[in-house]
Amino acid sequence: MAEYKKQYYPGASIVSKNRQKQMDPAQNLEKLREVSDEDVVLIMGHRAPGEAYKSVHPPLEEMGEPDCPIRELVEPTEGTKAGDRIRYSQFTDSMYFAPSTPYVRAWMMHYKYRGIDVGTLSGRWIVEARERDIEKVTKDLLETEVYEPALCSMRGATVHGHSLRLLENGMMFDMLRRTELGKDGNVYYVKNQIGEPLDKRVSVGKPLSDDERMKRTTIYRKDGMEKESIDKEVLEFIKRIHKSRSMAGFQLKV
Amino acid sequence: MVEDKKFIKALSKKFTEDPKSRTMTKVGLGIDQSARKREFKEWGEKIAKERGISGYDPMVHLGGIPLGQRVLMPYKISTTDAYCEGDDLHFVNNAAMQQFWDEIRRTIIVGLDTAHNVLEKRLGKEVTPETINEYLHILNHAMPGAAVVQEHMVETHPGLVDDCYVKVFTGDDKIADEIEDQYLVDINKLFPEDQAKQLKEAIGKSLWQAVHIPTTVVRTCDGGTTKRWSAMQISMAMIDAYRLCAGEAAVGDFAFAAKHAAAFDLASILPARRARGPNEPGGLQFGIMGDIVQANRLYPDDPARASLEVVAAGTMLYDQIWLGSYMSGGVGFTQYATAAYTDDILDDFTYHGVDYINKKYGGIGKAPATMDTVLDIGTEVTLYALEQYEEFPTLLEDHFGGSQRAAVGAAATGISCSLATGHAQAGLSGWYYHMLLHKEKHGRLGFYGYDLQDQCGSTNTFSIRGDEGAPLELRGPNYPNYAMNVGHQGEYAGISAAAHYAVKDAYVLSPIVKVTFADPSLKFDFARVREEFAKGALREFYPAGERSLIIPAR
Repeated sequence: MAEYKKQYYPGASIVSKNRQKQMDPAQNLEKLREVSDEDVVLIMGHRAPGEAYKSVHPPLEEMGEPDCPIRELVEPTEGTKAGDRIRYSQFTDSMYFAPSTPYVRAWMMHYKYRGIDVGTLSGRWIVEARERDIEKVTKDLLETEVYEPALCSMRGATVHGHSLRLLENGMMFDMLRRTELGKDGNVYYVKNQIGEPLDKRVSVGKPLSDDERMKRTTIYRKDGMEKESIDKEVLEFIKRIHKSRSMAGFQLKV
Repeated sequence: MVEDKKFIKALSKKFTEDPKSRTMTKVGLGIDQSARKREFKEWGEKIAKERGISGYDPMVHLGGIPLGQRVLMPYKISTTDAYCEGDDLHFVNNAAMQQFWDEIRRTIIVGLDTAHNVLEKRLGKEVTPETINEYLHILNHAMPGAAVVQEHMVETHPGLVDDCYVKVFTGDDKIADEIEDQYLVDINKLFPEDQAKQLKEAIGKSLWQAVHIPTTVVRTCDGGTTKRWSAMQISMAMIDAYRLCAGEAAVGDFAFAAKHAAAFDLASILPARRARGPNEPGGLQFGIMGDIVQANRLYPDDPARASLEVVAAGTMLYDQIWLGSYMSGGVGFTQYATAAYTDDILDDFTYHGVDYINKKYGGIGKAPATMDTVLDIGTEVTLYALEQYEEFPTLLEDHFGGSQRAAVGAAATGISCSLATGHAQAGLSGWYYHMLLHKEKHGRLGFYGYDLQDQCGSTNTFSIRGDEGAPLELRGPNYPNYAMNVGHQGEYAGISAAAHYAVKDAYVLSPIVKVTFADPSLKFDFARVREEFAKGALREFYPAGERSLIIPAR
């Protein structure tokens, strides 16, 4: 019997392959820009750069936890070991070929990260984790190919934008105007994710070209690179799922 | 062809820009772009001055950034030429929507056969058409809150309760002929011939009273009051009409019949955690909604149109009033609901399904009710709907929430599957298939609620044993998986109705509900739901529940 090889997502189209790449922990996300640790902390807005992490319980090694096989099996994250509080990062992704989508982000996180909790909606996607862990996660999410400076943005509240037409300068609409397109072509955060003004502008780099966006996107659109409404294999897979679930509920004793 | 799209007219008016452009140019206009928001602001200032307590102040929104940083879109009520602002579709601002619900809540259907048996067999009274007409004369005096039998009794002001009355109906033409026109809901006149025949056969010789107590009463009390108020006045009218002893035990039989044995609540009571009495929206089954709405009477050959009127009615009642206010509160739920009955979008998607059904299956109600049919029509309608959002950025912006898109796309898919097969469970299956496909195609769906019921819905679609599921017509807002999720219930009502309208059934679940709400004397016209909502939005609807007779003039 051939060894089972996890496929992560059906299909051989560009979008399917991009989804597979984002979800497969063996494939690293491509780093496209540099955002300093301090700048990540500023955008998140949970603590001032350099400020100590607030804790909600003593470090685990001081707590004298009872013997437990699960505790032995699961290695705590650094934030958990330290007793950090849980904080969040939330992203909005435009439907005009942003590199990721809420569900793909959720699946990606579950495959690639530990100690996280995600929430998936249509217009925003949130991830929560212990504070020092979420900062590392957020840095990845800002620096790699799952982020596009004009079409993605971190928004804690007043998130609308994912489905709205783009501004004349190509940026996704944001009622709070947390980001702006600089004269140098870079996108800058001028407010943190919850909308509080920053003391300095934080660059997250230049928007990608339309061609590059189409190559990297994870949304199936008929006006995408392959002009296909959805990958045919994905469509058949969904039909199979729907049919199988229906039959199971019909009590066929299968 | 762009010109063929039903939603283009609305989009062009809403955005006054190319509906296919991906660029928005009107940014940062604030609330001044909206007449309604300006009106609200003026009233906010006026009220604050008069009462000395601050109120509506749009500048506290987001610390000084008011609504309207993009276009504050007007809305076209689907199939009408009426445009209004979104605010006009909140039920607080729309008298027609209020009356829609008041009409249902204040209605109880009570059989007369039990009472007549008691009169004839136990009390030895003669029941004739003349006595029935006299009883109805007395009842229409008493039901609004007037005294019969008693002496020295307070009464309600007739001018405050002019919406209250009782009519009767029966499936027997001979009996119906003997009832005075003013008291009869005339099935033969109100329904197309084929529907009248079905209804009369189902109702038979039974005689039913359609009781509508005063709007003011249910607004002050609740839906549970309706049958109590009705039963008290029915019993008193019986005593008067048939000269009965007020203290005799047999009179209790009238009360029992009017409250229980022969009483048909439009909605059942709810369990403690959502506790409401009967005749409150949480207990109103989807099939009953399809009978309350009368559009299939008006459009017997256009079942899609009739189904969409049910969706409009259902989303307004279940989303805006039930979930949006009884169960939650605030204003957000209106935004979900209106997507299903504005801008001709759901209409466009649904009629695309109808065209496909006609071409592929040779007409409505002719496709086999199989999974293959669901997958075929489901794929066609789902991909069509989602591609429209891709092709028309203003359409996507109109339905800016994924929940709106999911609800509308799935409704069109579900209704299409129902129309094709004449089977509500096939329609429901289409709904859930849409949800799975939608999620995968765009990588997003709705709010968390769509992760609950829509990801496991395929599994319970065909589970119809009591503890596991139910035929869609018998499900309702309190069906376990449906109990807390906006953007679903009204659509389910439309899907269940579509299956029956497709095969020209005169009613979905209940012939007596269908006849009761056909009555043209009701304040709200249940055959023209969207037109009535539009009248409410334009402030042209006259509701019941008047209080100006007993308050100082402004």
